[in-house]
Amino acid sequence: MRYNLWFGTVDDGIRISEDFKKSFLLASNESPLPFSVSELGLRVLGRDYYRILRKTAIEVAEERVRKELGSDEMYVIALVKALEEVEEAINMVREKDEDIRLVKEDLAEHFERALAEMERLRSQIEKEIDAVMQKIAPNLTEIAGAKIGAKLIEKFGSLKKLAFAPASKIQIAGAEKSLYKALSRMKRGKEARVPKHGIIFLHSFVRSLPKKKRGKMARFLATKISIAAKIDYFRGELEEELFSSLKKRYEELRRA
Amino acid sequence: MRNVRIINGTPATKSRYGSHYGERIFLLGSERYREWIPWRSKLSAMILKGYEIEMKGEEKILYLGAASGTTLSHLADIVDEGIIYAVEYSAKPFLKLLELARERENIIPLLFDAGKPWLYSGIVEKVDFIYQDIAQKNQIEILRMNSEFFLKKGGEFLIMVKAKSIDSTADSRGVFSRVLKDLSKDFRILHHDTLEPYHRDHIFVHGKF
Ligand SMILES: C[S@@+](CC[C@H](N)C(=O)[O-])C[C@H]1O[C@@H](n2cnc3c(N)ncnc32)[C@H](O)[C@@H]1O
Repeated sequence: MRYNLWFGTVDDGIRISEDFKKSFLLASNESPLPFSVSELGLRVLGRDYYRILRKTAIEVAEERVRKELGSDEMYVIALVKALEEVEEAINMVREKDEDIRLVKEDLAEHFERALAEMERLRSQIEKEIDAVMQKIAPNLTEIAGAKIGAKLIEKFGSLKKLAFAPASKIQIAGAEKSLYKALSRMKRGKEARVPKHGIIFLHSFVRSLPKKKRGKMARFLATKISIAAKIDYFRGELEEELFSSLKKRYEELRRA
Repeated sequence: MRNVRIINGTPATKSRYGSHYGERIFLLGSERYREWIPWRSKLSAMILKGYEIEMKGEEKILYLGAASGTTLSHLADIVDEGIIYAVEYSAKPFLKLLELARERENIIPLLFDAGKPWLYSGIVEKVDFIYQDIAQKNQIEILRMNSEFFLKKGGEFLIMVKAKSIDSTADSRGVFSRVLKDLSKDFRILHHDTLEPYHRDHIFVHGKF
């Protein structure tokens, strides 16, 4: 049996690592160690054991924090793009399946299998989005949900840009096409309805309200999303009270 | 509790360090105390509600979900002669946690996923106590895995459970009773209570392995 410790490895004997920062990140073991890592460490490294451990932990963390700050966000943006394409692909394959079935059923089984596989992939991507979003934007995730939050980050380009965007932009993000259409109709002196919500229309608090209340809810939700993104950008820590005020507003509108 | 006093109705910990998150510093004679705001820390809320946990000051503690170190900073005042392994997986709050770790000799900061304890199994020793505050669906499983890896037999844990993160639709009383039942499979539960009015929809559970 070989055990991986932050200051070296143990099998028949102890081998002290030449680079603690490296062995620190390799200190993985399948099951709990059958001996005490600190007792052994104190014997090998002496009284300075905890001082060296702490110094190594801090140095390793400093490097990893810097690396992770940007990369998780890029990852979530890539995931959102992938999700959209996979969803499109699923719809396309399903359509073709139906077209073909109208003529002949021979391939139906193959289509079904492929679709099931693609749907598994989609839910795998969704799960990953959920996990990363909880980590990098816990408030946005709590308020908007992981998927909507991630789509917003993707749309604005980064959490920072979302955090600095006006709530009115957040409210209609993703509805630009219908906004331009409406505006150009108005320019031509025609009547048109300005969209009240884009991506955030996917939110159950907006969708589940009767049509004429949705605009109000969307506006409130957009403000809360803006606050959540700011907290996530500046502090990254969950603010428990944010969600309850959103829920309260929803209940009010539902009853009103 | 060790190094803790209630000053003007708010808990505070005896500390020779400065303010970490905007809390006030009180001087009582020659002693300095850091205000421990119950709205900001679930452990402070628990103490203010009258429940205390015996600490000798030299414990080895594993802290899961340390965030930017608000509660951790006070726990480090309490076990001033011990060691706290502080696990947090989110990089942003970790920046602030690192500031704390640089000035406190008894904090070992670990940027790891608490759901994968094997990754730090060659770093963290067997501990006397696990403190967990992780708002995740699988938080009980996380406690169980970490206890198996690191908690001494007879060691204790304190977990802060948020109903909504386990089940966002179910009624919280039901969630809590399920959690307690689940925990009692592997642990002996010593005490539990809500954290009202400081933290809505939360309970703490204190138990033994
Ligand atoms: C409610 S906050 C903790 C607040 C902190 N205990 C305090 O009182 O100062 C929960 C923390 O757990 C972290 N967390 C959630 N899942 C985690 C995981 N699997 N591993 C490590 N940390 C996790 C979150 O990033 C968040 O910072």
